[in-house]
Amino acid sequence: MFSLRRFDWLIFFPMVAITAIGVAMVYSAFEASLPGGPRPGLDNFALRQLLFSGIGLVVYLVAAGLDYHIWIASYRWLYLLVILMLLVTLAMADPTFGTRAWLNLGIFGIQLSELGRVFMIIVMARVLGVEGHKLEGAGPFLVSGLLIAPTIVLIYLQVDFGMALMLGTVWLGAVFLAGVRWRHLATVAMGAAAIVPLGWFQLEEYMRGRVYHFLYPGLDPSGATYNVNQALISIGSGGWWGKGFAQGTQSQLHFLRVRHTDFIFSVYCEEFGFIGAMLLILLFAVLIFRLIRVADSSRDRYGRLIAGGVAVSLFAQTFINLAINANIMPVTGLPLPMISYGGSSLISSMLALGIAQSVSQRRRPPDNPLL
Amino acid sequence: MGDLYVRFRAVLLRIVVIIGFVVVGVRLWDLQVVSSEQYLDAADRNRYRLLPIEAPRGVIYDRMGHLLVRNVPGFAVYIIPGDLPRDPDEYAVVLERLANLLEMPVDSEESPRGITQILQERTIGPYLRVRIATQVDRQVAFIIEEDHLELPGVVVMAEPQRHYYDAPLMAHIIGYMGRISAERLDDYLERGYQPDDSVGVSGIERTQEAILAGTKGQKHIEVNVFGREMAVIASSDPAPGHSVYLTIDTEFQAQVEDALRRGMAIARSEIGVAIAMDPRTGEILSMVSLPTFDNNLFSGGISVEDFVALNEDPRRPLVNHAISGQYPPGSTFKIVPAVAALQEGVVHPGTTLECRGTLLLPNRFFPNDMSQAQPFRCWRRAGHGHINVATAIAQSCNIFFYQVGGGFMDFPGLGISRLGEYAQMMGFGESTGIELSGEAVGLVPSDRWKRQTFGESWYTGDTYNASIGQSFVLSTPLQLLNATAVIANGGTLYRPQLVSQVVDIEGNVVSTLTPDPIREMAISRENIEVVRRGMRQTVTNGTAWRWTFDDVPVSAKTGTAEYTKLDEHGQLIMDQHGYLPTHAWFTAFAPYDDPEIVLVVFLDDGGEGSQYALPVAEDIMRAYFQIPQAEPETELEP
Repeated sequence: MFSLRRFDWLIFFPMVAITAIGVAMVYSAFEASLPGGPRPGLDNFALRQLLFSGIGLVVYLVAAGLDYHIWIASYRWLYLLVILMLLVTLAMADPTFGTRAWLNLGIFGIQLSELGRVFMIIVMARVLGVEGHKLEGAGPFLVSGLLIAPTIVLIYLQVDFGMALMLGTVWLGAVFLAGVRWRHLATVAMGAAAIVPLGWFQLEEYMRGRVYHFLYPGLDPSGATYNVNQALISIGSGGWWGKGFAQGTQSQLHFLRVRHTDFIFSVYCEEFGFIGAMLLILLFAVLIFRLIRVADSSRDRYGRLIAGGVAVSLFAQTFINLAINANIMPVTGLPLPMISYGGSSLISSMLALGIAQSVSQRRRPPDNPLL
Repeated sequence: MGDLYVRFRAVLLRIVVIIGFVVVGVRLWDLQVVSSEQYLDAADRNRYRLLPIEAPRGVIYDRMGHLLVRNVPGFAVYIIPGDLPRDPDEYAVVLERLANLLEMPVDSEESPRGITQILQERTIGPYLRVRIATQVDRQVAFIIEEDHLELPGVVVMAEPQRHYYDAPLMAHIIGYMGRISAERLDDYLERGYQPDDSVGVSGIERTQEAILAGTKGQKHIEVNVFGREMAVIASSDPAPGHSVYLTIDTEFQAQVEDALRRGMAIARSEIGVAIAMDPRTGEILSMVSLPTFDNNLFSGGISVEDFVALNEDPRRPLVNHAISGQYPPGSTFKIVPAVAALQEGVVHPGTTLECRGTLLLPNRFFPNDMSQAQPFRCWRRAGHGHINVATAIAQSCNIFFYQVGGGFMDFPGLGISRLGEYAQMMGFGESTGIELSGEAVGLVPSDRWKRQTFGESWYTGDTYNASIGQSFVLSTPLQLLNATAVIANGGTLYRPQLVSQVVDIEGNVVSTLTPDPIREMAISRENIEVVRRGMRQTVTNGTAWRWTFDDVPVSAKTGTAEYTKLDEHGQLIMDQHGYLPTHAWFTAFAPYDDPEIVLVVFLDDGGEGSQYALPVAEDIMRAYFQIPQAEPETELEP
């Protein structure tokens, strides 16, 4: 079941490397600049992140050991669990950082939607992982849409636009990789394309402003501008080689806010420069390409859609976070996977990679070395 | 279909991933490699601050080393914009509360400007503090401190302010400090001042600003986002301001003020000036202008009521009348035509001219019709008879000086242009250059001046009046004093000075007063000596006959200057006998042989100089030479 020979080091290594960078960056962004020095014990965010990494690693290895068909078989329960988790969160969550995605469990806050996303990858894989000819009809496509829609709405109600966007991506990725026909995709795309601008221009100017702020909540417009500007200064001032670990003036002097979560990439860029940024992107690229490769060579459609879903999800979140940091996209509030501080995000990411690892260990031997 | 179809999707996904990362990569290349420098600058601007370190302001001593000004802690109120409440309602409450405490408006474009406007104007960064008010009352400062929980974002800081000892006595000399005025702001900014610095705005505080202020130090610091200092990169120490020793002796100044006050009370005069100077050097020994004011009012940030009261007082206590008041000098001016006529050979020391009490100046269009002639009178109706120049000064004979100035019949006078030249040579019509601001220049009239001002030609009668310090001649008390000093010292016009010494923080002397001659008179010593003798005679056998002591030989000149003033109906104010009101003047120097003090006394609307200004001068001379007061005479003057 668990064989070292079949262990997929190309998933494991980049994951560990990225996680290690994450722990270091959390230290730099949060602990290094505290006037009294790093805090002791579990008050120390870097140590917490290290602890989360350890838990995540165990979760990863357990998930890798489990046959992923167990997940597939229990997809109904998983779906019910997701809906339940989101409802509980919505009912009980404290409004923190303008979103209500966090469930307060005493010392730790927990963001159940992170786990929900991983489960939805499995649910989507099960629903769309049918024989090719069945996709000629609209059936699986509609079912997948009907299943994903309530979760997106529930997360949207938590005022967590970033995560809602991620769930949408999970669905789109699954639908796309499953081979849903272009005409179905085109119909949805055209419908969306027709409604969005029509609706947009029907709105009054101030309403549009409201929609904008609703879409990008948590930060007032001036605050958002401030963060984006400071992030750009951080990144740009890093230059080729960066200012050195824990030497970034923008982060250490706290000009950059939310530096240990959404803007941690800016801290990284400031301290490790363009070279460091390219290295990190390379690690993500290796990991994502490996996941796509695993999808391609998986034993069955479920495995393909799980590995592919993890790849799409990881890529989408990474890309959006980097794009926000570099001000290519408006701020939406998404952590950088395995780098940003946060146990829910880190452990969920490692769970997803563990399941993908499980797929990889059970794949068929490569028949076409080119793909 | 099937596998290949699905695999094609995976290829598309790979392409999307590549495109995505390449886009990010290119963007990072642009930020971190192409535009790196610009962002590095921005990061440096974020974290480096150049802060001024205030230099302690120098203090001021009197000539005996008696401290006149001290720096005491004052309070300033700042707002840190980033710490104000985010909620608009709470924000408004904080501003409202602060505005009430500071007694200033929340929202006002006019002066005093509202807190909102000050914040808008001066906010640089969210965590850089903005000065809202300086010189805040101690009580108010404490209340704000105690209420800091109710006033988030408001901080109180101690800032030095001036405390003046002997305040009203020295107020006109020392002056006071205040905000930089808008029109002088650029000038000060160029010299390294901050817009909300306090600077000297009057008196020595103003003219010696450069010496007293010192040079600010600079601190180059690294700050965090809260503007808190994290590290000092470099700093230069401030150079404390130098301290200034005045030429004034506070004790003597107080005696002069007492004397003047008494004299004013007796004469029922509202405004009075007394100045004493060392004629050998131009050092001002005392300068009193009454009424005066308390310059400490300005250190506390003068209240509107106080300022309005001072500013609207018709006696204008904020004005130093010693340098800013312009008055006809009357007979005290006669020293000018006297030296001028002697030097120009118009008269010799022995030349006598006749005074019959009245001089009839023929009408120039009807020279033979004496009924049309204009009468000019001497103050002594019986006339002085044939007198020489020294006696004319001693007796203050008008008719002698009418003739000397304007000529009469066959006797050629000086004429207004020569009279004007000598007046100007002796410092009339120009500022003396004393270290005070707001000096008036007075007026030496001329033919040309009269044509331009009144569109009338100059008449001989005008010259007559100018010769006795009337008609258009105007002088400040200080100018008259300075001209008298020329007679006292034998012919040098000095710039009057108030600063005897400048010392640095360690007590090393930076500079010491050196006499600063404006010009030597083109007048022979002999001629000046004649006038000196005349002034001595004034005391021994002349208009200053009321002078009581002879312990030190004093020379003097009396003056009673008519002036014109309109009442509220536009009518000339006259006394019950139909005479114009008069200012009382008295100039004197002593000892006669080697004068070490020259003084001027002026009483606005003070009546006869010999009667009312003289006793003030006598008290001052007694104080200076430490001559005890005479026993009160049993027989009082009528």
